[in-house]
Amino acid sequence: MSKKTDTTRRAIVGATVGVGLGLGAISMLVPIGALKPKKEVTPETEPPKKGDVFVFAEGDKKGDEISFADLPKEGPAVLAFPKDPKTGVIKNGERNNMVLLIRLDPGELSPETAEYAADGTVAYSAICTHLGCTVSEWLPDKGDLMCPCHKGIYDPRQGAKVVGGPPPRPLPALPLQVQDDKPVCAGGFTSPVGVVAGLEPQGGSCAV
Amino acid sequence: MYRWLDERLSLSRFNKKFLRKAFPVHHSFFLGEITMFAFITLVLTGIFLTFNYEPSSRLIKYMGRELPAAYASILYIDSLPFGAVLRSVHHWSANVMIAAAFLHMLRILISGAYKKPRELNWLLGLALLGLSVVTAFTGYSLPFDAFSVTATQIGYGIGASMPYIGEWVSQLIFGGEYPTLHSIPRVYSLHVLWFPLLLMALIGAHMLIMIKQKHTQPAYAEKVAPGKILGVPMMPQQGYMMGVLFLLYLAVVFFIGGSYIAHPVEAFGPPTASTPAVKPDWYFLWIYGILQIIPGDLKIPLPFGAAINSEFIGGVLVPGLLGIAAVLLPFLDTRKTKQRYLELPTRHPVRTSVTFALIAFLLTTSLAGWKQEFGFSNLQLWTIIIVGTLATYLTSYLIIVSYWGKAPKGEAGELEEA
Repeated sequence: MSKKTDTTRRAIVGATVGVGLGLGAISMLVPIGALKPKKEVTPETEPPKKGDVFVFAEGDKKGDEISFADLPKEGPAVLAFPKDPKTGVIKNGERNNMVLLIRLDPGELSPETAEYAADGTVAYSAICTHLGCTVSEWLPDKGDLMCPCHKGIYDPRQGAKVVGGPPPRPLPALPLQVQDDKPVCAGGFTSPVGVVAGLEPQGGSCAV
Repeated sequence: MYRWLDERLSLSRFNKKFLRKAFPVHHSFFLGEITMFAFITLVLTGIFLTFNYEPSSRLIKYMGRELPAAYASILYIDSLPFGAVLRSVHHWSANVMIAAAFLHMLRILISGAYKKPRELNWLLGLALLGLSVVTAFTGYSLPFDAFSVTATQIGYGIGASMPYIGEWVSQLIFGGEYPTLHSIPRVYSLHVLWFPLLLMALIGAHMLIMIKQKHTQPAYAEKVAPGKILGVPMMPQQGYMMGVLFLLYLAVVFFIGGSYIAHPVEAFGPPTASTPAVKPDWYFLWIYGILQIIPGDLKIPLPFGAAINSEFIGGVLVPGLLGIAAVLLPFLDTRKTKQRYLELPTRHPVRTSVTFALIAFLLTTSLAGWKQEFGFSNLQLWTIIIVGTLATYLTSYLIIVSYWGKAPKGEAGELEEA
């Protein structure tokens, strides 16, 4: 066998092996991609939408519907989940649906906050924008919300803007309206909930 | 019997090659062994835990309460004879393993043992330290109580804050947006199977390379017997010392585990909607501290809508840069000849002072983790961290140089031929 055909044969064999390995590696991307589980949207994990009422997320009255009378004046915030009034499904299958309801003096709200408020009551996502803990502490002297994990502080009177600690952006607001003495959801969250790797989105993603 | 086996397995060759390996006599050389004892203890107690643990967050009925299965199985483990003790020993051994591995690394660092020809083992050691911390973290969420779920959520958030790939990486590790029903099975398999296997493989490679390359010799060996390897053989002397030390280790860790139950799952309770105030284990406290004092409005935009934000800087970038510096160290601080003797820390004032400054940085940033309790402001803490780190560097450099003088070139462990 001449030397030339030998090198050609080697090149062909090498190329075949290379193409085979390459295709094999590319095909593995499918199962690797599937390692991130698909998000299944069930009635329990659906995001809040217009017309949803709210129920207590914890405590003795867990699961009971919340009316304005249930909310303490000037705080503290009440941890709540949205509930579809038609089907009666409580949307507690998704942490990111957790909402803080706070009843404040309507005169103290900034104009932008008042737009989303109903009867002085405001609703914010309860998930800290810093690293995803629940913003579950209430600082009574200033009336601010605090996340217990890294002490991020939000002012609920000014669109939950960050007034202390490390969170990168305000808590997303949930527009409210009044209906039968109850705060009722008037639309979706004004910005993405929880930790976001990207920049703060300019517009709201309002799922009405 | 020995002859019968020897004729088939050539045991004498194994004996000559491995069991007669000389161990230098110095107490700081036991740090690596303690790391390994902690790992063995973790594997053994871990086997006990896997036999009784149910890796699922589905709700089940347990003792009249509706609880996540994982949480209920920890209550069950605690009810077994010695169950709570073994679980505590598992917890404390993880702490000891990380501490011993870190101190072992500091010993290598200040004695210059990372230099040629041991760069590879320095890298393997760094990988082992990092993997130990990651493996410990994947164990955080397994009890599935209010504390562990919150702590894991923070880890999820740190991962998700990475630009572009963050969400994908976090969802891959935690089986979706933590906590989902996929989360516990996935983290469980990482914690009890894949990471321990990887650790075992890396530890094996670390040991084999160490046996092949031999330990660095303590500095006095150069005066006693230049060019010779001093030490006691693996069998029997070093073996007996290791055996005694292992029993001593077990005694101490069982004493601590028996008298102080780690992570009281019953007291933390099943996961709640609100978040309890959490503080991580000491080896994460410095990251936790940085995360608390980093300004939230710090944001560096990247193309395609991503950004580098404060969570990424505190949780990924700062630890990552320290890691990269450690990886590059043996390639920047090089030497032409093979390193045989340990360098005296006093002969290398810059390296030793940087090491002390690193410790000062880790301690002061850990102090920032107590921001709330001590009532510090961010400005005060940043001042303490920066001044503390720089002052530690300067004072230790000045002390070393004024007491021992600068090392002239060509001295201190560079005497031997190539």
